[in-house]
Amino acid sequence: MTWEQLIWYAAAAVICWVAGAVMAFRGKPAWMTTTSSLAGSAIFMAFIIGMWIALERPPMRTMGETRLWYSFFLSLAGVAVYVRWRYKWILSFSTLMSVVFICVNLLKPEIHSKSLMPALQSVWFVPHVIVYMFAYAMMGAVTLFALYLWLRKYDATDDELKVCDNLVRIGWAFLTLGMIMGALWAKQAWGDFWTWDPKETWAAATWLSYLLYLHIRGHVKDQNTLFALLIFSFLLLQMCWYGINYLPSAQGASIHVY
Amino acid sequence: MTLKWGYKRAFVRCALLFAAGTALQIVFGDLNNEFLRYPWGLIIAVNYLYLLVLIHFQKSRWTWLGQLADHYACTSSLGAMIAMTILFGLTRQDPSAEGLWATLGFTRMTSSWAFNILLLYFTTTTGLAVLEDMAHIRQRRVAAVLSHFAVFVVLVAGIFGSGDKLRVTVTTQQGQATHWGVSRSGEQVELPFVLTLDEFRMEEYAPKLYVLDAMNQTSSREFLSVEENGAQATIDGWLLTATQSLDMAGRMPDSDEYRAMEHIGAAPAVYVHARNQRTGAQREGWVSCGSFVFEPSYLFLDDRLAVAMPRREAKHYLSRMNVVTEDGEHLNFDIEVNHPARIGAWRIYQMGYDTERGRWSELSIVECVRDGWYSAIHIALWTMLAAGVVMFLTAGGRRKRKEVVK
Repeated sequence: MTWEQLIWYAAAAVICWVAGAVMAFRGKPAWMTTTSSLAGSAIFMAFIIGMWIALERPPMRTMGETRLWYSFFLSLAGVAVYVRWRYKWILSFSTLMSVVFICVNLLKPEIHSKSLMPALQSVWFVPHVIVYMFAYAMMGAVTLFALYLWLRKYDATDDELKVCDNLVRIGWAFLTLGMIMGALWAKQAWGDFWTWDPKETWAAATWLSYLLYLHIRGHVKDQNTLFALLIFSFLLLQMCWYGINYLPSAQGASIHVY
Repeated sequence: MTLKWGYKRAFVRCALLFAAGTALQIVFGDLNNEFLRYPWGLIIAVNYLYLLVLIHFQKSRWTWLGQLADHYACTSSLGAMIAMTILFGLTRQDPSAEGLWATLGFTRMTSSWAFNILLLYFTTTTGLAVLEDMAHIRQRRVAAVLSHFAVFVVLVAGIFGSGDKLRVTVTTQQGQATHWGVSRSGEQVELPFVLTLDEFRMEEYAPKLYVLDAMNQTSSREFLSVEENGAQATIDGWLLTATQSLDMAGRMPDSDEYRAMEHIGAAPAVYVHARNQRTGAQREGWVSCGSFVFEPSYLFLDDRLAVAMPRREAKHYLSRMNVVTEDGEHLNFDIEVNHPARIGAWRIYQMGYDTERGRWSELSIVECVRDGWYSAIHIALWTMLAAGVVMFLTAGGRRKRKEVVK
């Protein structure tokens, strides 16, 4: 498996995802919609597994490789939300976001090396990256939903806000898992749980910001504040994920360079 | 949105704490945590916990104490920590920096008064939330109770245990016993055990060949990974074929020819055949990254381009270490990155080696870390992991499908 084959796997996956999204909109039975969407995710996962085997290491080392996981988990998050709450638009959203990240990967192909530095050869490497990518996908989904609710002409209903809460709870739970796994890994590798590396600093800011949302949710009724906080938190997440690669204060200061 | 008085009051409190911290920073300089060394860190921590319990039980009698435990205090302390971490993230952390930001402590946030005071405030509101959880345990979500508890323990252990942490770098020479190292502050430290490096071993990845551009002083993005004889790749219009690859090789000073050699200082070498895909021009010759014994070799393709091999990347390296404890016990460890050795409260980490000699290194650099609060933080982190799992499993689980709006 090589990076050049991504376009074929992605095309097949996107066809399945789009079919699932269209079926959801047309009110087709849930099993049809879900099967189609999951088939797309399975095809995409097949590519990831193929890369894993070809590279002889988990494809999680480079930014492009993390984008693969992001696209995959977004599709899964979309299906999970659809199965749980039957929102017919969510599959279109998750497909759109997955496609955006696939396009970035196609337009910015990377050179892949089999090398994996000793610090990354840890039992924590795979779960740490996977739970973070899943968390990012959930937060991406809730951000899109919050934007949709915020920009339309009428207020969100209680049920719609509860969807935001639940997505944030799931996303925050996974952010927590990722952060703690990172801390346990760091202790094994370097002797410190936490070193305020720029990546860690922005991960902490992101985690705290979503935590603030969870804490004010029951007390603040103003929807503008809630939606603004969700979007602000997602901006912090972007800074944590790849923004620090461009941030002057973080240049040469982070061990999380990829 | 108009901000309620409770929020205004709570955020003004944070602003005042920040201002007080900044004033202390200007007057006293960085906050030195040496006063938290054992037993003082533990004594202060116990007193702090006692104070929190006191506040918890007295908060209904004193309004201002109650204001430390209310929702506004929780929100404001969280908000303050977000602001501080963002400030932290936007400012380059450099202990040697000078100027206004440095005077205010922003370039050394972990030792700045403002950051630590607000962190203590956040710890206090979290601690009071833990006590509140314990008082009303049945009405609370399990995930919230576990999270509050775990975050509080991590913060208390992190703050009050910070003075106890000792990191000592030790350079061990093969066959030579040592029990001295250098702390982060540059002081010589005697260790409670003796270390002897029995053997240093390293495994490396396959050699990679790049095309260098001498005019622009750049290297190609693409490379040829020589995992087997016959490996091919096209780089910058040249088809490179690795016809012969030697893992350990050397050459005589007056010769360009490499031959297999089992000797200290042997270097990897690859015989490369290159063909220009446009002009058909062909070149061939040995390419090697060299070693501390041999000079590197390049294959020049034209006036500008040359095939080169950078030093091979380390795949694994380990130090076989013999440790003699104060009790005279002999222990043997294989210390690797991600696999530290453990001796009581000490852990020994593989840090580095003689990069000039690479796989032939006869020394190993290890870091001995003493962390008396390790267990407390470790247990808290696993509790936090459990909290994350519980939160995921219980999120949205209280609603029935029938209630859902389609």
